[in-house]
Amino acid sequence: MNSLSLIRQKRIGQLKSLIHHPYFGFLVVGALLLFMQGLRAAGVNISITVMRTFGLTMIYVIIGLGFSILLGYAGLASLGTAGFVGIGTYLVGYLTTKMGFPIYIIIIISILGAILIGLIIGFISLRIEGMYLAIITLGLSEILNEVFKNAVEFTNGTNGLNMSTIVFFGTFEVINIETIFTALVFILVLVMVITFNIMKSPTGRAMLAMKNSESAAQAMGVSILKYRLMAFMIATVYAVVGGVLYMTYFGFSIPSSWGLAFSLNILAAIIVGGSRSIYGVLLGTFMIFGLDMAVFQTINVSPTQNASVAAFIARFPEHTEQLSEFFRSLNGAIPTMSYIFNGVLIIIVIMFYPGGLYQLVITLKAKISKLISKVMKKVKVYRYGEDR
Amino acid sequence: MFFDSVKFWNTFYIITGVTVFLFLFVDFVVIRKILKKPSKRDLASNLIVIGWFIAIVVHLHASLGNFFFFQTLFDKMLGISVLALATTGIVLIFKTSITTNFAQGMLATFGVYVAGIVSMRWAQNTGISSVFQLAMISMIAGAIVAFLMGVAIDVFIIRKSKYITSIGKQMITMGLVLVISGIIPVIFGIDAISVPRISSRPISFEWIGWNFTVSEHALYGMYISVGLLVVLFTALRFTKWGLGVRATASNEIVAGMMGVNTKLITALSWGIAGALGGVAAFMLAQGGTLSAGMMVSTQVNGFMAAILGGFSSFIGPIVGAFMIPILSNLIFYFSPLWQNAIVYLLVLLIVLAKPLGLFGKRIAKKV
Repeated sequence: MNSLSLIRQKRIGQLKSLIHHPYFGFLVVGALLLFMQGLRAAGVNISITVMRTFGLTMIYVIIGLGFSILLGYAGLASLGTAGFVGIGTYLVGYLTTKMGFPIYIIIIISILGAILIGLIIGFISLRIEGMYLAIITLGLSEILNEVFKNAVEFTNGTNGLNMSTIVFFGTFEVINIETIFTALVFILVLVMVITFNIMKSPTGRAMLAMKNSESAAQAMGVSILKYRLMAFMIATVYAVVGGVLYMTYFGFSIPSSWGLAFSLNILAAIIVGGSRSIYGVLLGTFMIFGLDMAVFQTINVSPTQNASVAAFIARFPEHTEQLSEFFRSLNGAIPTMSYIFNGVLIIIVIMFYPGGLYQLVITLKAKISKLISKVMKKVKVYRYGEDR
Repeated sequence: MFFDSVKFWNTFYIITGVTVFLFLFVDFVVIRKILKKPSKRDLASNLIVIGWFIAIVVHLHASLGNFFFFQTLFDKMLGISVLALATTGIVLIFKTSITTNFAQGMLATFGVYVAGIVSMRWAQNTGISSVFQLAMISMIAGAIVAFLMGVAIDVFIIRKSKYITSIGKQMITMGLVLVISGIIPVIFGIDAISVPRISSRPISFEWIGWNFTVSEHALYGMYISVGLLVVLFTALRFTKWGLGVRATASNEIVAGMMGVNTKLITALSWGIAGALGGVAAFMLAQGGTLSAGMMVSTQVNGFMAAILGGFSSFIGPIVGAFMIPILSNLIFYFSPLWQNAIVYLLVLLIVLAKPLGLFGKRIAKKV
């Protein structure tokens, strides 16, 4: 064996260890998103809707990652997510437009505020457990929604709050969506790495123990108080930071966005994807939000606007009226089709596949690799004869 | 404003502060040192919370005067009846399926949409002119469809997910909320649908020197819901089905071993909860246009009422269903924007003090 092939083997080994490094996947996700943006900048025809979908979905992934620690690791069901995201949006909107605070100070303020809120809810969760916690956090979210509607000086009430500039190094600058998209990609990768470290650290393992059996975890020396508070703090920080990013990217926040439906959609994304893995959250969020924004909201089958539908109707001259009426009402119903899709996915996943779609992917992968090894064995037997 | 809100809030804070102090004193000194029986503990703290509520209501009466106080109560009669029906549906499902049903409101909305379609088609085809008959027929049709839908949900989904944790089942009902709210525009179209009002006549009467007005629709609503609740509670207490529900609530597996048909009991409970919701939504619509989100606030209030009264009892949630609308509508006169937030906050405080609700019982659990 010469030295050249030894070096080659070493290189391959290095490459393999690079590929199997846990951060590699996160970097690939980030690189793909940046690549897409680069393609768009180079002139490939990617519509602004698709870009916006990806941008918003990244923010929802960040919110969902916090929620997956809360639900998948600590086993605490909360419906307050929408309220906390709303707090983030209004915080950055108010502090920027009225007070002129720079964005990094706002992020620090929002993280501190979120830790405080998380502490309060964590203490509530010590008294109220299980199913009741979801209801109480729903109540909290309703209270926050009332605040968003009524505190007109801070939130501009039901008209919604606009934000078109951010302060960076002391001057107001107009928001450039492309720059923020790039920043979002980096933040997403960072958040994924942080979440991975939380999940695989003693904290994550203690939370898992707490989820499976509180009494057993306590007997093993896991402090319920500490880890519940921590889980809520992490989830709230992620949600509030997600709100800050949402406002910076989208530039508009209205109380009706932060209702029960948003919390339910985040929950759906986590459950459908798999509540205990980062890729599961990614997959679920893209399925629930991405498909909704990129597919369901863009379909238009109104007979007056869609040429192929009009042509289809024209083929049946005796039923023109009924058909156009049918397509008109179908067009009105399509935006809500995503609700049916999401709901059915949640029910099916919980009933038949509690690990989520990511678990399904893993199972399929294992099955396929088993199949391949079987086939390879057969091939070997065919080529070299059977062992005796 | 007609009323002295500064004076009201000062007294309100004093009453609440005294109650908190009294509660802590009783909890830490009297109960832990003197009373050692658990039953008396609950009684003492319940008495304090109920005493607080009565004091607040008396204070509201004193600062609003006879007319505004009672007129508000008469106005909100319908809201209270609707909330009582919705809450009872939620509790009934909690008893038999051990989950909090988030889809209760959507089930009800589906029922009332059917009622709307029936009344519109009926009015077109047969020409019944009596509004009362039309309303009754469409309400019953809506309730029957909601009943069937509840049974279908139990048979096809909840029964199959018996071994899923209760939080998992809760999430299934959240998924149902999404499914039903998506199905409604697909089935019923996007055109406006309205249900008939039972009666649009206001009734005025004289009492304690004032002239009060009540809408006849609210009166009918109260009759119907009181009737339904009385029948339901009698059935729970005295019939075989009621015994079965109570047995299933206490332990489903043992109840099944003792010969209770738990499948039938659960399916019927879902159906009855759906029907109660359908009637409640019909009352709430009051002849107006329907929307898919019309029951959301009732649903949230129903949860709040149930958690305030305690999910493990039947009478507690009804008490909660009285307390929440009364408080929020009377506080409206002193804080017209924040009344809901204030009431939710108060409920949150009470639930923090008593996590099992006012009438809840602690269920001992083997580790």
